[in-house]
Amino acid sequence: MSNFSALQHEADGLSAGLPPLMVQADHLAASVSLGVHGRRRAGMGESFWQFRRYASPDSAGAIDWRQSAKSQHIFVREREWEAAQTVWFWRDASANMAFKSGAVSKRARTDLLLMAMASLLVRGGERVGFVGMDGAPASSRVALTRIGRALFSKGDNALPPRAPFARGNQMVWFSDFLDTSALEAMKDLSRRGMAGHLVRIVDPAEDDFPYNGRTRFESPLGESDEIFGRAERVRSAYRSRFTAHGERVTDAALKLGWTCTTHRTDQAPQSSLIALHAAIGGT
Amino acid sequence: MLNFLPLSFGAPLVLVALLALPVLWWLLKVTPPLPRRTLFPPLRLLRGLQDEEQTPAATPWWLLLLRLLAAALLILALADPLLGRPPQLAAPGPLVLVVDNGWAAAKDWTASQELIADLLHSARGRAIAIIPTAGAAPAGLLNEGEAARIAKELKPMPWPGDRKAAAAALGRFKFTVAPALYWLSDGIEDNSTPLRDALRRYGGVTVYAPERLPLGLLPVTRDASGFAVTALRAGTSAVQETEVAAIGARGETLAATKVRFTRGETRARGHIALPMEVRNATARLAVSGEESAGALQLLDKGASQHSAGIVSETSGEGQPLLSDVYYLERALSPYAEIAKGTISALLDKNVSVLLLADVAKIPGTDMERVKAFVAKGGMLIRFAGQRITNGADDLVPVPLRVGGRYLGSAMAWSSPQRLAPFTATSPFNGLEIPAEVTVTRQVLAEPSSEIDNRAWARLTDGTPLITARAEGQGWIVMFHITASPTWSSLPISGLYVDMLKRLLALSAGTPARDLAGLTSLPPVSLLDGFGQPAAPSADAAPILAREFARTRVSPRHPPGLYGAHEVESALNTLAANDALTPLSGTNAQPYGNTQAQALEPYLLAAAMLLLLMDALLALALRGFTPRKLKWIGAAAAFLLIVPQARADDATAMKAALDTRLAYVKTGLADVDATSQAGLTGLGMGLRARTSYEPLEPMGVDPERDDLSLYPLLYWPMDPRAKNLSPRAQSRIGDFMRQGGTIMFDTRDLSLGAVRGASSPGEQTLRRLTGGLDMPPLEPLPADHVLTKAFYILRDFPGRWTGGRLWVEALPPAPKNGAPPARGGDGVSPIIIGGNDWAAAWAVDGNGRFLSTPSPGGELQREMALRFGINLVIYALTGNYKTDVVHAPALLQRLGNERR
Repeated sequence: MSNFSALQHEADGLSAGLPPLMVQADHLAASVSLGVHGRRRAGMGESFWQFRRYASPDSAGAIDWRQSAKSQHIFVREREWEAAQTVWFWRDASANMAFKSGAVSKRARTDLLLMAMASLLVRGGERVGFVGMDGAPASSRVALTRIGRALFSKGDNALPPRAPFARGNQMVWFSDFLDTSALEAMKDLSRRGMAGHLVRIVDPAEDDFPYNGRTRFESPLGESDEIFGRAERVRSAYRSRFTAHGERVTDAALKLGWTCTTHRTDQAPQSSLIALHAAIGGT
Repeated sequence: MLNFLPLSFGAPLVLVALLALPVLWWLLKVTPPLPRRTLFPPLRLLRGLQDEEQTPAATPWWLLLLRLLAAALLILALADPLLGRPPQLAAPGPLVLVVDNGWAAAKDWTASQELIADLLHSARGRAIAIIPTAGAAPAGLLNEGEAARIAKELKPMPWPGDRKAAAAALGRFKFTVAPALYWLSDGIEDNSTPLRDALRRYGGVTVYAPERLPLGLLPVTRDASGFAVTALRAGTSAVQETEVAAIGARGETLAATKVRFTRGETRARGHIALPMEVRNATARLAVSGEESAGALQLLDKGASQHSAGIVSETSGEGQPLLSDVYYLERALSPYAEIAKGTISALLDKNVSVLLLADVAKIPGTDMERVKAFVAKGGMLIRFAGQRITNGADDLVPVPLRVGGRYLGSAMAWSSPQRLAPFTATSPFNGLEIPAEVTVTRQVLAEPSSEIDNRAWARLTDGTPLITARAEGQGWIVMFHITASPTWSSLPISGLYVDMLKRLLALSAGTPARDLAGLTSLPPVSLLDGFGQPAAPSADAAPILAREFARTRVSPRHPPGLYGAHEVESALNTLAANDALTPLSGTNAQPYGNTQAQALEPYLLAAAMLLLLMDALLALALRGFTPRKLKWIGAAAAFLLIVPQARADDATAMKAALDTRLAYVKTGLADVDATSQAGLTGLGMGLRARTSYEPLEPMGVDPERDDLSLYPLLYWPMDPRAKNLSPRAQSRIGDFMRQGGTIMFDTRDLSLGAVRGASSPGEQTLRRLTGGLDMPPLEPLPADHVLTKAFYILRDFPGRWTGGRLWVEALPPAPKNGAPPARGGDGVSPIIIGGNDWAAAWAVDGNGRFLSTPSPGGELQREMALRFGINLVIYALTGNYKTDVVHAPALLQRLGNERR
């Protein structure tokens, strides 16, 4: 009983952030306009694709009489197939993501971007889902709520669990990719036919290393500490390592045909959102 | 170094610890400061990086300096430094302090206290004895802490010290080691031989005495024009000048005179001339700049505010010593204002006591007036005389026999009679009857049953001498003898004065019962050693009334006022024959050149401050930015309040230096702007038409500002206004009680189409002032002074016209011959109307009016301005205008008197 009420209490606390996040994400998504994108082949859809000669299994109602009257043949109007894609989301939930040097933690920004992207895709008619969430991906606001719940549920997995991915599904993966095991997991997913987008979330302090003087650096994951008498002296060395690491992640993604965008938490989320949307819409 | 600086150390060995400072410096330098801690996710990328310089960043040099300074201060403080040289004790044994703390020590008390503190400081670790000359000495030797406490509690007493008792107390001590003896004297020779002897028994004594010996003030004599004062000094050597001041009941100096001691004289005489009223308001006389009970003479407190009228049929101009009036005047003049004249003239002057010396028959026309005077609480005192022997009227306590009684004359059998002791019910009870008072002649009362109750004084043979009867609220008192010493020696005795004094007190409302109880005089208010009033202590005992004159000041009877309300007698430290002589036979050291100031607390405080700063800096170095420390913000906020307070002061100064119009700030920009513009416009009108030239008006906030600086507040109502805090409400209540006027403008038609109780303005008014104590109000009566204060007005238009103006309800107009203007006492604290006057008066920066009054246009604006001028003049002059109405009558009356 007490376990249940404790859980419920915690769940309430966690999901308390959900409605504001969804509103925020909706606002963000609304700033990027979008339409349903066609599959560039005949199928179910609204927009005209081509006229085709009438064949026996076609119903009489499908005949375009105006076009047929222009010539001898009977034509059927075909519309473009507008199919919804399934986009899976995943974000790193490890303690590293809780880090913030300014006002926004990496996780908060990640959640915002993720929800905004999901909201955008739902408006575009795509099916969205979160790896490991309850229920199947859907193309309605229900899916958004499900994603939100999944975001605020417990768990600190850095890597996505195995899920019933279908070939051609897309994966949007938010993380700081500091752990190179993520790259292995990406290769695995790619082998299973998934296309994907990595969104690398970077805190400005990780990028700029603004530390001076005697500083003890501690890992959020509980690894052993590093002490520097003068932190400013290792700044350039660190920054070159960090840049190299970023390039490694990007290279690994490109090799698999995935894309990689980098977002600094001190930047406006819109720009990253547009870039990310372009990457998905371009597929 | 120690020889150049006036600095010494109580524990110099501690200074050795200063040698450890370099070690401390080295330690601080090698110990690195704690690192700042930070979380850092990409920690793996930092692995293996080297910051070439592994020696920890040194503690910043200024932090190092700060810590060293704190340590050095701490060491210095523990070494117990003293600024100045503490006295070196003469002998190795216990410290014995004999302290004069009689009244004469009050003048140099601070110096002697400092000396005691220094001596106690020097006597660290020794046993200490403190023997005050006034007050009980603690038995036995004290330790340091007890001694410090007792020394702190030691105060000069208002009575002279008893050195003999101190010598006896000193004699009880037994010392094994020769004690260090100090006598902190007041420099006055007063029975010092026993003490000197007692001190000599133990060895050498160091005597301190003040350089300027204290002055005293001898009892004051009253004369016809004021007070004759005599100041007393101890030395006779030089010419000395000082000032004696007459001081009122609240400590205000009423008058002062310079007195001058010439060479060889110990007394200096002076005279303070004062009008009678001021003389009666004098509570005491004191030598200026001498704060001691001996430099001060309290005056007896009688019914000082009372006036006595003396009527005498005998002229006696040529022989004043035989005149009744002369003796009465001498006896009464210290206690009452005296007027002489006819009965009707005196009653016109509203005397409270009427003395008729040998007036047998009050003239018929005056009879009724005198009866009315007594019935309303006046006191009629009649004296017998030649005329009364032929029969008196019926305004006497007991019927009188025609003829008189002669005692002890050549033709009489009986000898002159003395007074019998007063009975317990007589108001004279407790007064001492001098043996020399005899009565040789008197008028007799008809024997009656009432006479027992009515006789306040009798002769030894039982014949009534003074009879009295209550009549209405007043008294009729009959002295069966003359007011002059023709018939008895009573008028030349002190008893006569005391009797009249008690009669004055009786007329002032002191119940006869209280006066009868004055056989012993309880202390009413006493003086402390510095001559400041103090509440009677439990130790102060009452003094028997008949012994009062002989009583000298003592611990049981401290100086002060004794008696009952309005009959308080003063007991003073110095009596007429006292003299002061300087302490002889010793070469005394002066006070005041040996003070040593202990620096320990200051150094400790400085060290603590430095350590606190160090803690803050250490926090800052470890990454706690001041932004995170909320209390630093609080401190900053506190610092910001100070300039704010200055600004408030500036506003108050501005308001106080000129009489300004003011409005209450509602906090709503539009309403406040209208008020400001309105009062500016009204101010222009006032400047052009009246002699009052207001400067620009001010807005006040009752929550913050001092309202007492403004005579009139204009307060527009607006439904948006916030409720008042209780603090503001009490301020407004005080403002109205202290005579301020608030003009509430409910602005009826500006806020909506409704007038009256349901208008938004009036509802706001009710909401804001619900917690205030409002006087009863009435619609402005047509004869109210507000309609006539400057212009004669019938209605009071503003931006709008009509509506009612409410003011404090006046007392109803007298039925017959109502005056043309009524104003009540003072100004109505509150005026309520709803015509939005400020809008009508409002002008812009160029003096153009901002609104159009409706419906009357410019004519209505003129009337609005006239109302505003009336309002301001009313608030400033109060009911002055109602009095002006009486000017013709007053002028006529003045003319009559001159004739």
